Amino acid sequence: MSGRVDGWRWAGRVFLVLILLFTAVPMVWMLLTSIKSQFAAMQYPPQWWPKEPTLENYTKLLDPTNPVGNDFLRYMWNSFYVSLATTVLGVAVAVPAAYAFSRFRFPGRTFLFFAVLLRNMFPAVVFLMPLFILMRWLGLVGTHGSLILTYLTFGLPLSIWLLKGFYDNIPIQLEQAARIDGATRFQAFLLIVMPLSVPGILATSIFSFIGAWNEYVYAATFLNRQDQLTLPVGIQRFFAEFATDWPGLMAATFLMSVPVVVLFLILQRYFVRALTEGAVKS
Amino acid sequence: MAKVTLENVVKTYGPVTAVGDVSFTVQDGEFVALVGPSGCGKTTTLNLIAGLIPISGGNIRIGDKLVNDLDPKDRDIAMVFQNYALYPNKTVAKNLAFPLQMRRLPKDEIARKVAEAARVLDITHLLERKPRELSGGQQQRVALGRALVRDPRAFLMDEPLSNLDAKLRVQMRTELKRFHQDLKATIIYVTHDQLEAVTMADKMAVMNGGTLQQYDSPKNVFDHPVNTFVASFVGSPAMSLVPLRRVVEGDAVALAGDGWQMPLSPANARKALSAKSDTVILGARHSTIALHDGPREGAVPGRVYTVEPTGDVTFVQVHVDGAIVIASLAPDVAVRSDTNVWLGFDQSRMHLFDCETQMALT
Amino acid sequence: MAVSSGPVTGSLRRDDGLLRRIVTHRADYAYVLPALVVMMVVIAYPIWFTVDMSFYKTPASLQLRDRTFVGWKNYHTILTAPAFWSVTLNTLIWTVASTFFAFLLGLGAALSLHREFAGRAVLRAILLIPYVISAVAASYLWKWLYHSDFGVIGALSVQWGFTDKPINFLDNIHTALPSLIVVNIWREFSFAMIMLMAGLQTVPEQLLRAAQVDGANAWQRFWHVTAPHLKGVSMVTVLLLMVANFNSFIVPWLMTGGGPAGASDIWITHIYQIAFGRQNWGLASAYSVILFIVMMCLGYFYVQALTRGDKGRPE
Ligand SMILES: Nc1ncnc2c1ncn2[C@@H]1O[C@H](COP(=O)(O)OP(=O)(O)O)[C@@H](O)[C@H]1O
Ligand SMILES: [Mg+2]
Repeated sequence: MSGRVDGWRWAGRVFLVLILLFTAVPMVWMLLTSIKSQFAAMQYPPQWWPKEPTLENYTKLLDPTNPVGNDFLRYMWNSFYVSLATTVLGVAVAVPAAYAFSRFRFPGRTFLFFAVLLRNMFPAVVFLMPLFILMRWLGLVGTHGSLILTYLTFGLPLSIWLLKGFYDNIPIQLEQAARIDGATRFQAFLLIVMPLSVPGILATSIFSFIGAWNEYVYAATFLNRQDQLTLPVGIQRFFAEFATDWPGLMAATFLMSVPVVVLFLILQRYFVRALTEGAVKS
Repeated sequence: MAKVTLENVVKTYGPVTAVGDVSFTVQDGEFVALVGPSGCGKTTTLNLIAGLIPISGGNIRIGDKLVNDLDPKDRDIAMVFQNYALYPNKTVAKNLAFPLQMRRLPKDEIARKVAEAARVLDITHLLERKPRELSGGQQQRVALGRALVRDPRAFLMDEPLSNLDAKLRVQMRTELKRFHQDLKATIIYVTHDQLEAVTMADKMAVMNGGTLQQYDSPKNVFDHPVNTFVASFVGSPAMSLVPLRRVVEGDAVALAGDGWQMPLSPANARKALSAKSDTVILGARHSTIALHDGPREGAVPGRVYTVEPTGDVTFVQVHVDGAIVIASLAPDVAVRSDTNVWLGFDQSRMHLFDCETQMALT
Repeated sequence: MAVSSGPVTGSLRRDDGLLRRIVTHRADYAYVLPALVVMMVVIAYPIWFTVDMSFYKTPASLQLRDRTFVGWKNYHTILTAPAFWSVTLNTLIWTVASTFFAFLLGLGAALSLHREFAGRAVLRAILLIPYVISAVAASYLWKWLYHSDFGVIGALSVQWGFTDKPINFLDNIHTALPSLIVVNIWREFSFAMIMLMAGLQTVPEQLLRAAQVDGANAWQRFWHVTAPHLKGVSMVTVLLLMVANFNSFIVPWLMTGGGPAGASDIWITHIYQIAFGRQNWGLASAYSVILFIVMMCLGYFYVQALTRGDKGRPE
């Protein structure tokens, strides 16, 4: 029997190696391309290993005195600003809502909750037209406000769902104890529940941030001025003119991915917990 | 400390009545145990007194003050929860300090009171630990400490010992009792374990299905249960209850089973005659039943079902007329299963209940 | 337990009316209100707008004041256009194939990673990176890998002798859609992996031990113990993947734009093309409404799968 068990274990290892190659090789190739000159990248057969590696693509993108770098850094700042605002506002709105969904039984509670969840189901593209009109009406077209508001609503259902899961795991007796100890309902929430829900808030924040950072469709539609663009749209416009600058594009793509990957690696535990929260109940 | 009064207190959740019309008064300094089976409304009653849930009807007073609409923080009571409800992200010291901070006491006074409470409960060496680094018994002490640090008008405790292992439970029981005596504290103590109630409380309030069944001293509840529920709930092993036929011949009244009759004493005859129907429930505790190996005058025939030696006494379960009666024997007396025995009931210590209302006949 | 068996029963208040309950709980609504307002503005209004617009012919100038009511004509146009069925077929292939393979790879990875070993956490993190980075980044990256002249995939397939010259993956009606599906799987399988890994943790170790004692081999233990425990998670995962794939826009749009000759056109790219390429919002809205209906059906199952065992807590 142990022979068969080993057989399965070996199959698992082989599978892992294959899937690791499938995942990593494209990313490695991206990195290798990004340190080639444009001439070196456009060869057939390809240079498997860069003969003259160069960081020129990166220095160009990160140099504010260079027009390309200036634009790139501006896009990055825009992305950061929009994502951070989305995250902060999202948490501020989601925390009370999730707490209420977890703690109170009020008429329509279940209905409201599913209304919130269903928001997840609708694709961005079909909401583009009405939201465009709405933003035009609100006078937000061409501002970052339009994006922040939109991302907020896209993130909210998930944030509320995640946070509700965290609040469900905080025993109600803790709040009761606090109220007996002399806290008001709000103090009990602020002093006892909030500190305990920090992991939940972190988890939701990562989600909001990464979602906003990566968003393309609304950013491409709502923004029109060059200096407002966020990264996903920005690098597209940027390289459409020099469609053949693949090493530059790969470098830009890499730099665009760095913040989310770093954020993900640091807060991996919360990210994974957030992903699986709710779907897995023991 | 203060007295606590409940007047016709009601709590409903939609169609569910969790607590229905409960009234009792806990005198200043009294230790009252709220007992009853799981789901009978004990926690709900306690939460109503604490103000954690809004009351649906009736009045609650602490001291002479009506507190129906007061926030928990303004009722000045302390509470110990079943799962301790220690703040997991705070150290023991911070847990103890929290109620004092909420009341805006000066820092040095807080420190002094925390140290004092820790000393009394012997948890000084634990002050810098987090709750999850404590054993169950230590957590229990901290929870108690958090109630102790300020002197509230009353202590509410919701099954505070039920998460401890048996040995620790007995030990804490003694300590709690001692603590009550020293502080002369008003304590309302919820438990589903009638033994805890009997051993610790000045009075016990027996609840079932959201209503108060009996409110009296443990001795009176034990000796004079008002109905069959209380009779079978309080005392271990439970009081044996046997439904029997009432037979009246002239002045003589007897209880009859399958092929036998037990004449009743005049006092018991009077009780039996007040029953609404011809079926009367005979109740007897094991210690009031004598076991004979042959027929006797007034003894009731039965067949031994099981024999359970416990060391101190041996409990014998006997089939009588389709019901089980538990009697006790000295451990050195030998009985075997499936033998015939005769049970002698002590007429002065037996109970009679009306079969229709389940109430005690008096 | 509400029935009192005891003798004391006072007159009790009956269930309060709905209005009364709303009034007594009015403070609770304050907590959800901010969320509700935002959601209403951004859900209710767009849905109403889309349904309304689907009955109008809109001018290409997008001066919506000049629209004309045309009844069901937009729907008729959609359902009779030959493109509709080819796009629907593409959407089905795209959704089902992406979901199926992403789930399968995810399951394999989850099972292989379940056992503790050195480097497991690192491996898991690496596998998750494609899921974390933006679809835009993934699209450009793979566009470069698939490049018709200098793409590494084409070069490798020549090097290893599969083909004699590099394939033009994205510009060929037979290879465009499958190539996109590969990208999609690359991005998504680790989502399935992470969900199933969490699911695997709920399989009781004791049950597996018991099965082992009962003489079940590895496969039998998986089939009889592990698989039933993964059913719930798998349902949710598959539904989430389906929804995500059905709704995914960036990868096909940035990599092929639906081409060549509509070979990789799916509903979402098609709707975008009608709305913002041809500027025909009436038609695009009608398309969206049909999509809403499909999503609602998926949504129904999603909620069903998601709410197993979700019970709100009292007070
Ligand atoms: N928030 C609530 N909503 C509905 N029913 C409740 C709620 N809280 C308690 N109950 C019901 O009230 C009854 C009494 O509960 P509880 O006071 O917790 O019982 P105990 O503490 O005696 O075990 C139970 O039947 C319970 O189901
Ligand atoms: Mg209880």
